[in-house]
Amino acid sequence: MAVVDSGVAETGVRRVSIWHFVRLKYRIWRYTGLSSGWRALIFGLGILFGASWAFGGMVLLALPGMLDHLNAGVLTAAFTGAVLTVGWLLLPLVFFGMDDTLDPARFALLPLRRRTLVAGLLAAQLLETSALTTFIATIGLVISAGLLGGAAAALVELVGVAAGLVLGVTASQAIASAFATLLRSRRMRDLASVLLAVLATLFGPLLIAVMYAITNTNWDQMTGVARVLGWTPLAAPYTVGMDVAEGQAWTVPLKLAITALTIGGLLWWWSRSLESAMVGAASSGRARAEQAPTGGAVEALIPRFARWLPRDRYGALVARELRYWWRDARRRASLITVGVAGVFVPVMVNISGGAMNPEAQQFDASPIVLSFSMIFVGALASINLVNQFGFDGSAYAAHVIAGVPGMVELRARVVAYATQVAPLLVLISIVIGFAIREPSWIGIASGSLVAAFGTGLAISLFISILGAYALPESSNPFAVPSGAGMARSLLSFVAVAGACALSVPMLIGSVLLSDMWRWLALPVGLAYGVGAVMLGTYLAGDLLDRRKLDLLQTVSSQR
Amino acid sequence: MNHPALALRGLVKRFDTKLAVNGVDLDVPVGSFYGLLGPNGAGKTTTLSMAVGLLRPDAGHAWVLGHNVWSDTVTAKQLLGVLPDGVRLFDRLTGPELLAYHGLLRGMDPAVVDQRARELLDVLALSDAGRTLVVDYSAGMKKKIGLACALLHAPRLLVLDEPFEAVDPVSAALIRDILQRYVAGGGTVIFSSHVMEVVERLCSHVAILADGVIKRAGTLDEVRGDRSLEEVFVEVVGGRTTTGEELAWL
Repeated sequence: MAVVDSGVAETGVRRVSIWHFVRLKYRIWRYTGLSSGWRALIFGLGILFGASWAFGGMVLLALPGMLDHLNAGVLTAAFTGAVLTVGWLLLPLVFFGMDDTLDPARFALLPLRRRTLVAGLLAAQLLETSALTTFIATIGLVISAGLLGGAAAALVELVGVAAGLVLGVTASQAIASAFATLLRSRRMRDLASVLLAVLATLFGPLLIAVMYAITNTNWDQMTGVARVLGWTPLAAPYTVGMDVAEGQAWTVPLKLAITALTIGGLLWWWSRSLESAMVGAASSGRARAEQAPTGGAVEALIPRFARWLPRDRYGALVARELRYWWRDARRRASLITVGVAGVFVPVMVNISGGAMNPEAQQFDASPIVLSFSMIFVGALASINLVNQFGFDGSAYAAHVIAGVPGMVELRARVVAYATQVAPLLVLISIVIGFAIREPSWIGIASGSLVAAFGTGLAISLFISILGAYALPESSNPFAVPSGAGMARSLLSFVAVAGACALSVPMLIGSVLLSDMWRWLALPVGLAYGVGAVMLGTYLAGDLLDRRKLDLLQTVSSQR
Repeated sequence: MNHPALALRGLVKRFDTKLAVNGVDLDVPVGSFYGLLGPNGAGKTTTLSMAVGLLRPDAGHAWVLGHNVWSDTVTAKQLLGVLPDGVRLFDRLTGPELLAYHGLLRGMDPAVVDQRARELLDVLALSDAGRTLVVDYSAGMKKKIGLACALLHAPRLLVLDEPFEAVDPVSAALIRDILQRYVAGGGTVIFSSHVMEVVERLCSHVAILADGVIKRAGTLDEVRGDRSLEEVFVEVVGGRTTTGEELAWL
């Protein structure tokens, strides 16, 4: 639309349509996704991964229809809708990262109307993989509605599902934009990233709790909750098809009106905050010009709790990493994610039925389930190193210039990370041991955990060298470069799956040597985990020495 | 045998379809203040990155005081101090922490690191920054702390990529002063720039790089002759001047 509106220039200006944004997004995507063989492969695998989730989800959501179970259909539609909408608000921030291909700040200097910009950005986001994946999955609800209530119900549900997607994407964009406005200073951004990480990680446990509640509460109660949810913007658009199937078609215009009003409100909020989001990061906040610490520069570098570190190259690397895990917002956010997930996963998996009921005396916990959940936690804790060089970005050049040997570098990074995470892991295994009233299984828990953590770290070291990607130097700690969200999930998945696979001996141990394993698990797990890390740093260190220049080029942001 | 401080022979680098550096030969004499001039995209950063071992050349070699950067890496890098452009520092550290980090990475004695860090921070007027993280420094302060990191281990050759870019006049004067003292003390500096005044004022030697090739190289007087450096530069890189007929609509 450009300058025409102001009447400044008359010639050579074409109207900017939303397709410009969509084309721009896909073009940037194509260039970044296919810029090298490796990237193209990861990109392709990511799409495959997404497609399998989409179609898997579709089948699951279509189940109530296939089983001809209307009540289940109502529940599925309402809860899926609520989970998806809340997910749109929080999940992109942490798990997939915010794709910043079309960062509003990039359009700041162009004479675009706000309405054009909002419509364009929205259209581009709607045609993005996460949106398409969600849409395909929710087609399952349409099938379900069709099977339960005929063509009319399916058609209405299709409209509802599409409206729900628009609502979700708009909400996600509006929140991101509002955050950009709020988070002017670096210090505020850092603080908010921590809060956000906690919030977003709590979403997972919350989901598990809801699922748990669903399986343990009677259906009538749950249907009541579902009906209430159906009248909130969270699930209103997703439940219209089921309402038609139930013979309550009168609700459709009302629920669609609720959805439209919410979308309208969100769009208004988004366009209001967009302007401020477009004006790049302002001041970084008041600098803390406190007195320099007493003592020399070297003592200032070494954190107080790590005075044991040698004052040499290795010590400096560990000290810097220790400081970075807390000072770098991205790292801190991922550390918190692991912390929260590490506590909730075993709690949810191990404490079944009776745990929620104080009168229950029996726990159906088993050492195998415990071992398995701990392996998962250990593997999950190790994935923070998957893109460790990406966190450093071009700053890694300092290590190349100084000629830091690969093995020293990796060992220091592993030690620094383990120093932060290991105490938490030990605590988790002790707490879980007592929580399931089997303190004698603590050895099994911690042994499995350490084995998976060690093997996970070893695998992550290789991935961090071979699969590194540059993180944008963005003000958003969750930003990932165009199309890298899938790559990020995929690499993390490979690390978790690999660590779980390599920790199978620990599971076999708990199956075959039940009593003896209580005492053997910890020393065996410790030896296995530490051995894996030693071997990993040795082999990956060699790889790093050979590939450090390629790595530097990869992680140096192209912008 | 007297080796040049930096010798480049036949350096070539190609990025996909673009030939960024196409056979650069250059000798930087010991004790010289060498300016590498070139328009944007001429290949200055790529050349310097290959010279210091940050980027692997497709062909060619680089020597620092006779030590091959690619086969005698450790010795060559010990003699080098580098201030790359557009490269982040480990900026979540404070100034003193960053200096200590660089010093220890270089294998220096902690006591020496402490003493030199204190002096460098004082001279570069960064002591007042206290516990401010480098990420919160101004552009000029970031250049200065970067320079301090490059100087900390007392290298014999300083390679600086655009050291005066985005630096205010006060900081620029300070950086100039320090570099001149370094060269007077026997060190060698090579830096890239496209600011003619700075190069003319500081340098004993100049090379003009355009389209990935060294077009002119020699002492400042040899390169500019009786004209201004800017005139020679524009002529060599083939810059065009407007005739006044274009952009009539403006």
